[in-house]
Amino acid sequence: MTPDELRERIAALRAAGEELRKRPARQVIDALADVLDRWCDRGAPERRALERDLPAATGFTPENVREGLARAFAPWSGEALRALAERELARGSAFALGHDVTSVLLAGAIPMPALLSMIAPLAVRSPALVKTAARDPITAPLVLRSIAEVDPQLARCVEVVGFAGADDACMEVFLSADCVLATGSDSTIAAVAARLGPDQTLVRHGHRVSLGLLGHEACGGAALDESARGFALDTALWDQLGCLSPIAVYAATDATGCERVATALACALDAVGRELPRGEVEAGAAALFAAERAGAELRAAAGQRVAVHAARDASWAVVCESDCTPRPAPLHRFVRVHPYPAPEGLGSALAPLAGHLAGVALAGFGTAQAGVEADVRAVGASWVCRPGELQSPPLGWPRDGLAPLGSLVRIGAPSH
Amino acid sequence: MSGADPARAALDAAVIAWTQEDPWRRDDARFDELALALFAFQFARCAPYRRFCEARARTPADVRRWQDVPAVPTGAFKELALTSFPRERAVHVFRTSGTALAGEQRGALLLDTLAVYEASLHASFRRGVLPDLAPGAGVSLHVLAPSAAEAPDSSLSHMFDVVMRDLGAPYNSHWIAGGALDVPRALRELAAAEMSSEAVAVCGTAFAFVHLLDELERQQLRFALPDSARVMETGGFKGRSRSVPRDQLHAWIADRLGVPPARIVNQYGMTELGSQFYDSVLGEPGAPRRKLAPPWTRVRILDPIGGAEVAPGELGRIAVLDLANTGSVSALETADLGRAIGDGFEVIGRDAGAEERGCSIGADAMLADARP
Repeated sequence: MTPDELRERIAALRAAGEELRKRPARQVIDALADVLDRWCDRGAPERRALERDLPAATGFTPENVREGLARAFAPWSGEALRALAERELARGSAFALGHDVTSVLLAGAIPMPALLSMIAPLAVRSPALVKTAARDPITAPLVLRSIAEVDPQLARCVEVVGFAGADDACMEVFLSADCVLATGSDSTIAAVAARLGPDQTLVRHGHRVSLGLLGHEACGGAALDESARGFALDTALWDQLGCLSPIAVYAATDATGCERVATALACALDAVGRELPRGEVEAGAAALFAAERAGAELRAAAGQRVAVHAARDASWAVVCESDCTPRPAPLHRFVRVHPYPAPEGLGSALAPLAGHLAGVALAGFGTAQAGVEADVRAVGASWVCRPGELQSPPLGWPRDGLAPLGSLVRIGAPSH
Repeated sequence: MSGADPARAALDAAVIAWTQEDPWRRDDARFDELALALFAFQFARCAPYRRFCEARARTPADVRRWQDVPAVPTGAFKELALTSFPRERAVHVFRTSGTALAGEQRGALLLDTLAVYEASLHASFRRGVLPDLAPGAGVSLHVLAPSAAEAPDSSLSHMFDVVMRDLGAPYNSHWIAGGALDVPRALRELAAAEMSSEAVAVCGTAFAFVHLLDELERQQLRFALPDSARVMETGGFKGRSRSVPRDQLHAWIADRLGVPPARIVNQYGMTELGSQFYDSVLGEPGAPRRKLAPPWTRVRILDPIGGAEVAPGELGRIAVLDLANTGSVSALETADLGRAIGDGFEVIGRDAGAEERGCSIGADAMLADARP
């Protein structure tokens, strides 16, 4: 891919966009709803191709990809997309429009954000120039294929391109679009933001973390076992690499209770690992995992009230901490369990994570549930659910507090 | 020396004696003997380490070879004072630089004597940076790092001050003062070095070199240091606003200072270690660039998951047994990746340049803002 080729693609998209904006909004939304329904169908060719090809490309195990997709698509549907479009885009009888061209910068290897990031600009009738993620060359071309199957004219409004992120010349052209939808690390997003002009729109999805939260009622007995199974599933799916993967569980209990929670979580992670084996771990990540585990063991040896549970093959680890201090998250199924002095201690326990939170799975708060939910939303959680549901947010989940479709609307653009 | 503990004093003396031998000689039997003796000593004197070893069922009674001495992660020094002497006997504390990340906890190495540390650094620096100089020949050392007076807890500043004191010619200088690059001084010394008949070494952190090179570029200046000049750079760019790949940095140094990459030495070291590892390029010109381990150290490249030693050339995490760590713990595992090359090794760094697979925040990034 050369800068000139990219310019040609953008020019073609601008031309296609003019036709796209002439189409009735509901017709476009219906086509995209059909695309989404295909993806929600396990038997659809693109879904089968993704389940077949993603593991080798990304290092996730086939079991994990299959289950991860099944859980993620469960609440999604074409009908959900129509409802979302009505909610976020309808202006009376008209629908809001997006920008002339939207550049979509994909990142990571988890496919759902890529799918939604490609569909969303089209829903506001903005053609999309999509740069594939280096770690997932599979999803974007398959999404384009499914769009072409449903609506060839709509497919002409999407260009999927690949070039190295360090290719400054290509990146400059890529970032010349009217709107940029960027996913990536905070440093990537900052670098993108620095290159955009004042008239361009940037919709940013940075990296986030998720947590588990246990109230007193779920710190023991059957309620604990059930929650632990849920947290273990949330952790195992996508090998804890997603922003909806819990990196820690905060439990409203004392040190003894915290150890009980850690033990239950360890058992559950061990069990879920048999169904959903962990995938590849790169050397650097594995080194960090080993270092954090050994560091916890050393802290325990030094007399701190820290306990380490770990698989013999190092495929998961649970560290029972003695306090709420946030610690490094090596990911790849490494979970810390922190005690917090409920209920007044919750706010201060979560305060250090404010601004970094995506989802919180909570259980065991009884009548205080609504209040706790409000508390975690106040510190930035955009998805609050029960354990086991973190990886299944609704289609309209306002990731990073942004409306999935509405954030791409051009302010002041005419609606029709 | 190390206070009143005769066992420790004997260990210190044995290690210091080894550092003073020339030429370096690898002696596996001697290393094993000293490593096991040091393990027994540290097992007895450092309670957290003892319990750590016991939990792994590795005690001096069971361990028969140095490879089986339990290694502690270097990150543990951020939270624990791992000493094999009473803490009140500490005479010096070196702290890790941490990163630019806000509020990151810094590791600390407590020392009850600087004798072993200095003996080791002396020998390694001579061998790694000045191997082509006759014994006693002077070298002008110019340092892109603050002095030890300005940064008393920096092991790197201490190291530079020691080599300036013991190995440097009368004309040595620090180019970092008051926390900033002293540009006039650097330019003055570089101009003088161009004319000098004496050997010159410009040493410093990689990030400080980037500042210097930026300035030279801004002023459109180039220097042609004499053929005998050499550069030593160390440290990475973690947490910095900018990162320059090592080969690019070396090319940039060559362009602006006139010192070719073959005379640029990278040092791998860390506060938690008593010894340092230098590139082989000056001692073995023409041979593949690799880090050489002093004979009183051993470096292994371990499978990041299983912990077994990996085959030569394969990527793994770097583990070191450093006999110069008499006062703390000798066996350490780093979070750095590397690979074995012949009789040495190569440091790859922590992330090997890989793009992230997910959208969760990794270890350090979250703590950048999250630490209270």
